[in-house]
Amino acid sequence: MAILEIKHVSKFFGGLAAVSDVSFQLEQGMIMGLIGPNGAGKTTLFNCITGYYPPSRGEIMFNGRTINGLHPDVVCKRGMVRTWQKVRPLAKMSVVDNVMVGALCRTNSLKKAREMAMEQVKVVRLEHRADFPAGGLPIGERKKLEVARVLATQPRLLLLDEVMGGLNPSESEEIIQLILDIRKLGITQMVIEHDMKAIMRISDRVVVLCSGEKLAEGAPQEIVNNPEVITAYLGSE
Amino acid sequence: MNRFSIFINRRGASPVALIAFIVIVCLLIAFPVYVGSPYARHIMILLFLSIIMGESWNIVGGYAGQYSVGHAAYFGAGAYGTMIVINASQFDADKLSELQELAKDSRLSSLLLSAHDLPPWSGIIVGMIAALILSLIIGSICFRLRGPYFVLASIAVAEIVRLTVLNLPDLTQGAEGILISTLPPFTIGSTVITTFNSKIPFYYTGLMLVLITILVTWLVQNSKAGYFFQAIREDQDAAHSLGISLTFYKNSALALSAVLTSLAGSFYAIYIKFIDPTTVLSLDLSVQIVLISIIGGIGTIFGPVVGAVVLVPLAEVLRSNLIGESLISSGMVNADSAFGNFLTENLSHAHVLIYGILVVVVILFMPDGVLGFFKALLAKKRKEAA
Amino acid sequence: MILFLQSLISGVLIGGVYALIGIGLTIIFGVMRVINFAHGEIMMIGMYMTYFLFTLFGIDPFVSVLITIPLMFAFGALLQKLFINRVLGALPQNQILLTIGLGLILSNSMMLAFTSDYKILTTSYSSSSYRLAGLSVSKPLAISFLITVVITALLYWFLKKTDTGQAIRATAQDREAAQLMGINVKRMSILAFGIGASMAGTAGALISPTYYIFPQVGSAFTLKAFVITVLGGMGSVVGATLGGVIIGVVESMSAAYISSEWKDVVVFAIFLLVLLVKPSGLMGTSRT
Repeated sequence: MAILEIKHVSKFFGGLAAVSDVSFQLEQGMIMGLIGPNGAGKTTLFNCITGYYPPSRGEIMFNGRTINGLHPDVVCKRGMVRTWQKVRPLAKMSVVDNVMVGALCRTNSLKKAREMAMEQVKVVRLEHRADFPAGGLPIGERKKLEVARVLATQPRLLLLDEVMGGLNPSESEEIIQLILDIRKLGITQMVIEHDMKAIMRISDRVVVLCSGEKLAEGAPQEIVNNPEVITAYLGSE
Repeated sequence: MNRFSIFINRRGASPVALIAFIVIVCLLIAFPVYVGSPYARHIMILLFLSIIMGESWNIVGGYAGQYSVGHAAYFGAGAYGTMIVINASQFDADKLSELQELAKDSRLSSLLLSAHDLPPWSGIIVGMIAALILSLIIGSICFRLRGPYFVLASIAVAEIVRLTVLNLPDLTQGAEGILISTLPPFTIGSTVITTFNSKIPFYYTGLMLVLITILVTWLVQNSKAGYFFQAIREDQDAAHSLGISLTFYKNSALALSAVLTSLAGSFYAIYIKFIDPTTVLSLDLSVQIVLISIIGGIGTIFGPVVGAVVLVPLAEVLRSNLIGESLISSGMVNADSAFGNFLTENLSHAHVLIYGILVVVVILFMPDGVLGFFKALLAKKRKEAA
Repeated sequence: MILFLQSLISGVLIGGVYALIGIGLTIIFGVMRVINFAHGEIMMIGMYMTYFLFTLFGIDPFVSVLITIPLMFAFGALLQKLFINRVLGALPQNQILLTIGLGLILSNSMMLAFTSDYKILTTSYSSSSYRLAGLSVSKPLAISFLITVVITALLYWFLKKTDTGQAIRATAQDREAAQLMGINVKRMSILAFGIGASMAGTAGALISPTYYIFPQVGSAFTLKAFVITVLGGMGSVVGATLGGVIIGVVESMSAAYISSEWKDVVVFAIFLLVLLVKPSGLMGTSRT
């Protein structure tokens, strides 16, 4: 069954289409890669899906219900949550407090939230930093914190916006393992990434956006061999 | 270590801090027994008032990060609610018949007439309700705006409140203000608790309110709402994406802060027994409320306490002209000389100067407030020692 | 009809001075993204300067503008260099608090020096007026309006035609890009604050024949300046000019047709409406 259905979604900014008539769907438990050159509309699509602004046209269905026009907090409570391309740590709060904020979406008890948060902090291997202020973390650990925080909201669908951006190879590898571990928990994921090797390795399916339009969709192998995709990438370089 | 984790992460107060807190509270309770000077008691009452104002603002400004520079509106709501009802309860027969005449075509006068029937002290509750309603209206307008625009909107709304009170003399006595010569005794059932014939009842009321606001702040800090407030302060988009309803939590923080601020206003009104729009509704007051927290350190329980302890004595030294008088009485300055004249005439008017200087110094050199500054200093010393 | 025209004329005349205050604030905001809460206090300093130039040296308030402008420019540049410059990267709230603090220092220092007594600058023409087709036009307001027009025109010319003016506008448009293009952004900030302060000081000089002069006179004008700049669009000089005239007219119209007690309420209500409906203002581009 499809957990997320995107039907003919467009988003206009002052007459310019940032996303134009995009449709695809995500099956429960899969990892969907979302790729495309800079300015292809990937983050705009994320913003539409998670409720930062409503799509100008089209419909977004999550768990079989339309979520058009819902605010991000409601979308999060329904089980879909996103990370940010430019990480947004709650700088003056500690690592575990950051993750607790996510956990408090599901519980009213601070004690319970702390336990849930510690669990996720361990999942991303930040337990040695638990009481460290989030603002003081290096970039690699900030990205992990971002993932731990959204995991604590107990999502069914996770949207990861360039969680490997700016990381060194060994840090990237850790994140890849993390994404694969999250899949084992049964959480569906949609991943925006620039690193093609990584995206081909982890994705079950890949959607390619270019200038706001869907250029191609298919299994990683099909995408790599798709001549249109190759020209789009070569043309943009 | 992060200064917030000291407060938030503990699973109970640290024993040393708790004991120190209890000792200080005990000393404060005993204070009037040993210090009889009305002036000293007066200063303590002013200190309590500042702490109450600072702690109340701190909930919305310090924890939720919404810098309201319009808190005078809530302070004024408390002060006016209290004074209007107490004043109405003391109307004599002449005034009542005059009002009955006016009430035929003035809704405000009929409002005053119904205030006459309320128990005098219920005005405090009237003030709290007024502040609550006001905060919900202000919140629904201002929270759609961010950063500097929010600050400007909060000022504009507070100014509208001030001008409205000024221009409704039927109800508020306008620019003239409300003066009450004797407070009604405070009774529970038929037992008279106090008749307010000395500073002592005010002292203990103030102390009680300080403890209440500190307790409320502690409860907020150790609650889900407290976490959400801080998340909104740190990054409201991130908070929003993590399932936090910005509208609900921002408005809750403001409403709680407004109700507590109205209590400060009520306390001020019954202590001074005179209010007018300039003293309880002005922009200057809003700014002073903000500064108490900023100077002490925002988003911490004891920041506003530190801010008040720094500010009140300094302002009082200038206001009461202690420096000038001591210089003159010690013979160092001739009272009739130009300088002596300057000291007695001008210096006492300029007590707000100290607020200005302090805020500039704090923003430039101690962005985390006095409390944060000394904590960092302490941490540095410890590091060096280790 | 006479009442309408009369209020329209007085509104436009006083609106010219408001525009001057608004332009100052908007230039400072445009270049530095700092909302100057001490703006009214800077204007107040200009008023005192004019007052003392008049009482001590007998210099006419309208002539003294020639002295006020450079002095206030220097004063503004100094404030920028010593204080504002240090918080350019800080949270907007902290910038606001710093300028509030500076405002308190200015008003209270003046109180310390000259007490809070009202001072009145009375010139031979303070209360005289021109008669024009049955309307009376206050002479000092009319002269100050003319001076305002000249100064605003000069400022436009400076910003549009000179290299420095264009550099200021470039900095206002995009600070980083301007820096990359080799514009000395720091110098532009000092210039901007200097110009802003001299505009406010000039406004102070121009209204001093018609207003009471006292240390706390500034805060009302600070609020007015906010309303004007938000109405016109933060950072837009044309917008501030327009906003100043609109607010002047709204004030005098609501004083004439509603009541003078409620005119400020009307002004603030419009302010809130603009903030909610079109926060970018009349002439501003939206910044989200």
